[in-house]
Amino acid sequence: MAATDNEEWDVVISAKRKRLGFDFKELRQYKDLVKLMIRREFVSVYKQTIFGPLWFVLQPLMSTFLYMFVFGNIAQMGTDGIPQPLFYFSGTMLWTFFATTLQKCSDTFVNNSGLFGKVYFPRFTMPITYMVNAFFTLCIQFAVMMIFYVYYFLNGFHFTPTWWIVATPLYIFQLALLGMGFGIMISALTTKYRDLRNLVSFGLSLLMYATPVVYPISSVPIKWKLLFQLNPVTPIIEMFRFSFFGSGNYDIKMWIYSLVVSVVVFLIGLMTFNHNEQTFIDVV
Amino acid sequence: MNTMVKVENLSKEYRLGVIGNGSLWKDIQSWNAKLQGKPDPWTRINEESRIGRRDRFWALKDVSFEVQQGERLGIIGRNGAGKSTLLKILSQITTPTKGTVKIRGRVGSLLEVGTGFHPDLTGRENVYLNGAILGMKKGEIDRNFDEIVAFSEIEPEFIDTPVKRYSSGMYVRLAFAVAAFLSSEILIADEVLAVGDIKFQEKCIGKMRDVSENDGRTILFVSHNIGAVRQLCQTGILLEHGQIREYGDVGMVLQAYETSLRG
Ligand SMILES: Nc1ncnc2c1ncn2[C@@H]1O[C@H](COP(=O)(O)OP(=O)(O)OP(=O)(O)O)[C@@H](O)[C@H]1O
Ligand SMILES: [Mg+2]
Repeated sequence: MAATDNEEWDVVISAKRKRLGFDFKELRQYKDLVKLMIRREFVSVYKQTIFGPLWFVLQPLMSTFLYMFVFGNIAQMGTDGIPQPLFYFSGTMLWTFFATTLQKCSDTFVNNSGLFGKVYFPRFTMPITYMVNAFFTLCIQFAVMMIFYVYYFLNGFHFTPTWWIVATPLYIFQLALLGMGFGIMISALTTKYRDLRNLVSFGLSLLMYATPVVYPISSVPIKWKLLFQLNPVTPIIEMFRFSFFGSGNYDIKMWIYSLVVSVVVFLIGLMTFNHNEQTFIDVV
Repeated sequence: MNTMVKVENLSKEYRLGVIGNGSLWKDIQSWNAKLQGKPDPWTRINEESRIGRRDRFWALKDVSFEVQQGERLGIIGRNGAGKSTLLKILSQITTPTKGTVKIRGRVGSLLEVGTGFHPDLTGRENVYLNGAILGMKKGEIDRNFDEIVAFSEIEPEFIDTPVKRYSSGMYVRLAFAVAAFLSSEILIADEVLAVGDIKFQEKCIGKMRDVSENDGRTILFVSHNIGAVRQLCQTGILLEHGQIREYGDVGMVLQAYETSLRG
């Protein structure tokens, strides 16, 4: 009757924690869940707003008008010759994608403690869900940007898009890695320190001004430039604008640097998340 | 016979009390005070004397048992005895502090009915979502969808209505119906029948017996409802303060439980 120990077991649970590895195979088995979670998240976000999905477009448009007024007209900051609406809109849209992903991912444990305490599924499902939802928003906004783009084009504005445009998916992917990476890295800390959540949103709004969202990197004084470029989001936004509008800062070295940072940040995030998902559930 | 679950010397320790100050700012102040050798400004009244004495707590202590294929095991005990903790370890929600659990086959755990249900999604969408959370594939749910709805006894015209418009009974029935069609070899249920009317409870117990007897599925069942445990289970475990007090035939274990309740 008693089974001997050398028999095959499907699961062995013990105090020993999983190593820092990550179980992608397990995640793949749950891809239906990821799809359904994305829909659940989407519904729960837009049910809470007055304008529903329209909000995804209104928000960056409003920011764009605000920036045109404050930074374009009052502060007279340049836009590298790119029409103001396109300049601000593209920056805001990319920044929002990064910031939303980061913020949502950092709240993974706090917002899902009920779910995580009741059923086991790969916890990484949730960060993926948040990122994909932010990505859908980005796609809608990108379509709006292209409407502006075509409008300016038809009105005789000469853009000189470069071949770098084909790397656009890579820029987005990089932002996703950075947002998720930083987000899941601090996700365990936000369960312990609730005030860290305020710090995150404050830090993000501060960091936005250290990123060329409302001004081009070319308007940053030379002595500060390197510091600004160390921010891994900076080269991505600059490359995006360079690709589509043909003006701005083209610095391939900095972009590769940011690519490396993105991957490293994501991997470190994955390892800490993997470690924390096993330790944090008892204290949430 | 085939051993499906083997639990060996399982122990789980929890930390009690508030861990840290819950605020980064306060923790920084505490660290700073410690560095300067001053007393911690955030020490709660009378806490110093308590620290180190009872801030750790064994919710499970040295628990060992085996469950065979097709066996229906009832786990009973007073509030706080460690029943849910045991099931959470078996479901991989939390990790044990000591000991091991070895499992053959998939575990479907039902620690709460309707986990992940979203009020704004329709009944149909929630069936798919909840099914996926419990580990079912989309194809599996597709195949069983009509049966799930029939089991829940929800009128078909309600299935495409957001579940926030359901009565709480309907909600629970639908949620339970999803779980009833889990195809995992091992089914774990924690006090999930407490909700729902008696007729539905009996139906669920009937269904669990049925899958266990016909498909050889193994069931671990926690309940405060002695009648339900007697009806469903063959073997039982009585937990007391995290330790196994009685283990064996369900009648004998329930007897011991009733005696301990009176005594
Ligand atoms: N995350 C946690 N942190 C600290 N203590 C915990 C935690 N979870 C449970 N406990 C403690 O562990 C003990 C066992 O809890 P458990 O939920 O397993 O009891 P139970 O047998 O399911 O009781 P009930 O019949 O009330 O459901 C309780 O004393 C509880 O306070
Ligand atoms: Mg319990």
